[in-house]
Amino acid sequence: MEKVKVEDLCFAYDPNTPVIQSVSFTVEAGSYTTIIGHNGSGKSTIAKLMIGLLAAQSGKIWMDGLPLNEANIYEIRNRVGIVFQNPDNQFIGASVADDIAFGLENHQVQSDRMQAIIEDYAQRVGMQDFLNSEPTKLSGGQKQRVAIAGVLAMQPQMIIFDEATSMLDPQGKAEINDLIQEIHAQGDLTVISITHDIEEVAKSDHVIVLDQGRVVLDGHPDEILQHEAELIRLKLDIPFALKFRHELEKNGVSIHAGTTMEGMVAELCRLRSKS
Amino acid sequence: MNNIALGRYIPLNSPIHHLDPRTKIIGLILMMIAIFIPAGWFGYLLVGTAVFILTLLAKLKLSFLWRSMKPMLFMLVFLLVINLFIVREGDLWFSIGPFPIYSGAVFQTLYIVVRLMLMIVLTTVLTATTKPLELTLGIEDLLGPLKVIHVPAHEIAMMISIALRFIPTLIEETQRIMKAQASRGVDLEEGSFKEKVMAILSLIVPLFVSAFQHADDLANAMEARGYVPDQLRTRYKQLVMRGVDFLTLAVAVVLMVALIMMAWVL
Amino acid sequence: MPITFEKLSHEYHPDTPFAYLALDGIDLSIAEGKMTAIIGSTGSGKSTLVQHLNALLLPSGGSVTVLDRTITAGDKPKQLKELRKRVGLVFQFPEYQLFEETVAQDIAFGPKNFGMSEEEALAKAREMLAFVGLEESHLERSPFELSGGQKRRVAIAGILAMDPDVLVLDEPAAGLDPQGAKEMMSLFVKLNREYHKTVLIVTHDMEHVLRYCDDVVVVDHGHIVQTADTATFFRDTELLHQLRINPPAVIRLREALCANGFVLSDQLLEMEELAAAVAQAVKHHE
Repeated sequence: MEKVKVEDLCFAYDPNTPVIQSVSFTVEAGSYTTIIGHNGSGKSTIAKLMIGLLAAQSGKIWMDGLPLNEANIYEIRNRVGIVFQNPDNQFIGASVADDIAFGLENHQVQSDRMQAIIEDYAQRVGMQDFLNSEPTKLSGGQKQRVAIAGVLAMQPQMIIFDEATSMLDPQGKAEINDLIQEIHAQGDLTVISITHDIEEVAKSDHVIVLDQGRVVLDGHPDEILQHEAELIRLKLDIPFALKFRHELEKNGVSIHAGTTMEGMVAELCRLRSKS
Repeated sequence: MNNIALGRYIPLNSPIHHLDPRTKIIGLILMMIAIFIPAGWFGYLLVGTAVFILTLLAKLKLSFLWRSMKPMLFMLVFLLVINLFIVREGDLWFSIGPFPIYSGAVFQTLYIVVRLMLMIVLTTVLTATTKPLELTLGIEDLLGPLKVIHVPAHEIAMMISIALRFIPTLIEETQRIMKAQASRGVDLEEGSFKEKVMAILSLIVPLFVSAFQHADDLANAMEARGYVPDQLRTRYKQLVMRGVDFLTLAVAVVLMVALIMMAWVL
Repeated sequence: MPITFEKLSHEYHPDTPFAYLALDGIDLSIAEGKMTAIIGSTGSGKSTLVQHLNALLLPSGGSVTVLDRTITAGDKPKQLKELRKRVGLVFQFPEYQLFEETVAQDIAFGPKNFGMSEEEALAKAREMLAFVGLEESHLERSPFELSGGQKRRVAIAGILAMDPDVLVLDEPAAGLDPQGAKEMMSLFVKLNREYHKTVLIVTHDMEHVLRYCDDVVVVDHGHIVQTADTATFFRDTELLHQLRINPPAVIRLREALCANGFVLSDQLLEMEELAAAVAQAVKHHE
């Protein structure tokens, strides 16, 4: 079943420089979809279009078959959460609890019911001991956890991560990536992750590659990541496992492993024990 | 930046900290009125004692109160001097050079000093014992009834709380930009007037750019989480007036009334 | 002349309840003409450390010697301009320091502050813009019209235009896409190899450290825990784990293979070498 359908979407801040040019794609319900492309390829613009923070000049977006328009915009925002790049600029409340509460207040959840909900979602992202902490006392990774809790508390059916780890240090990145994987594994949430991390792409169910506001590749990463020459031309990374496979081939060993490091190790071990 | 005491919240566990912010705001207003009632030296003694008890209850140190008064000291002295020379009431006591000093001037000046100091201490007690967010909630609730005449109480409170939330971020950013520009040879202390103007521009322009960036991102984040300005919202933090709040207000009212009576008798 | 720190310590907000000792007894020597990575987790003190190099921060204890200038704790040094000109410091997200009307003026701002004439500074701006890989047509544009990556380049050109002998960069590739990051790093390699600048890079990216840097300095909780050349540093996998550093992919793969019964030398730091050794191991079994 398709969760999102985008058809022939066009967007420009000024008519002479189009940012998004007839973009079409679909995202399956429950999938982990990645969107990649170099900076300026239009990735974040698509995210903002999908939740109606920007209005497209032409084209259509459907969420569960519901068209995105003036009348449905709030309903769609109820169903779709988004976590942005800058941890500081999306921390709205004065404390962790206040920030998680922000969305609940907007949804007019009864005041006396909020405390339990806040504690529950803080627990899910491992921030239960920081409920009264102010944002200045938290690391970037912790702030992003709070942002995720704030979004989860609104019980969305889909979450968009718009380069949610790109401003974090390696520990923060690892923390948040693991958390995203965990959230996706637990429920039937659809995840769209806008990322530069090619290893994350390799593990996803579906990848959409953007270049200059157009979809240039769209499919399963095992298939898409084979288009190496194309990826290099698009200024994108190649997964390490793939690069390593080519080096092995140069040394006379050809293997049929996927594009992840784990797959590579497993395949090499199998080869070794077989012989 | 971290040495400023004025307006800073001091996390302590005192009975004043636990009062409802609305009690503290209204209490402050009542006390301020009391301070301005001309009830003679006995009146000031009464209010002064009340303020002193308040600071004790709030567990605030004298050194802290003194530090919060410091930035206002210059203004205080300035007012004093002006007042001392301008007022010409009462007996002529003595002269400093060509300026005659009257007894009325000395008393009035003393009254002004006492008033200002009491006001600063009272305000400090409020801000030191009340978290900025609670203060905002208090203001929102107190402005609530004015919604009838289209005062956007909620929006005002939201704006104040967001401003408060971003002050530390902006201070941090200012320090970073200052250092970055110092690395490019900017010297805020030395240099010609033109160089100083450039130095200030090199600070202010980037600060504005980044403030707008914060605002833009924040607006997106708020909207994405379902915020619609004029739509009804519930509130996580509820303020509850307890017995001690009503008691405190009663004391403040009694004090104010007592002073009015004293002034009337005088 | 190397950069040396002697028993340097730095305390923020001394004599207040917020006092915080960010650096504690740093003894360190950084070789001239090399490209040195400064690594450590967030809050380890590495940013504090590099801000002593151009006297933005002054030592609370000990001293630091950069070029021929020594700054000792307790000094109230004057005439810092000379030092700041010779040690170019690029902060994280330097695009946020742009403020002039045109790209040319912004790049020329630093050199002019250090006494260069308007014409010279503008000529330097033109030269440096080309060096960072932007077209000359950008010179008269507003810096605020540029893309994020272009802004970053202009900001860096603004520091390079001061013609510093030592270049210090705080996470210069943060937030760039992989291609942009690669180009950025190549720029610093060029400055180091061809223009013989001493380059210090504060970074979290171990792939960059392995690929581009000669030496590594590790800061942890205000102390220096390791100084070594890059190859030696990455061989000490135990320390990497202890510091919770995620090693480069080559090392991760080698470790994963070793954990699964492969016997591979810890000298293998290049993908090509590792592939050859792995191929050998697999074929050997056949």
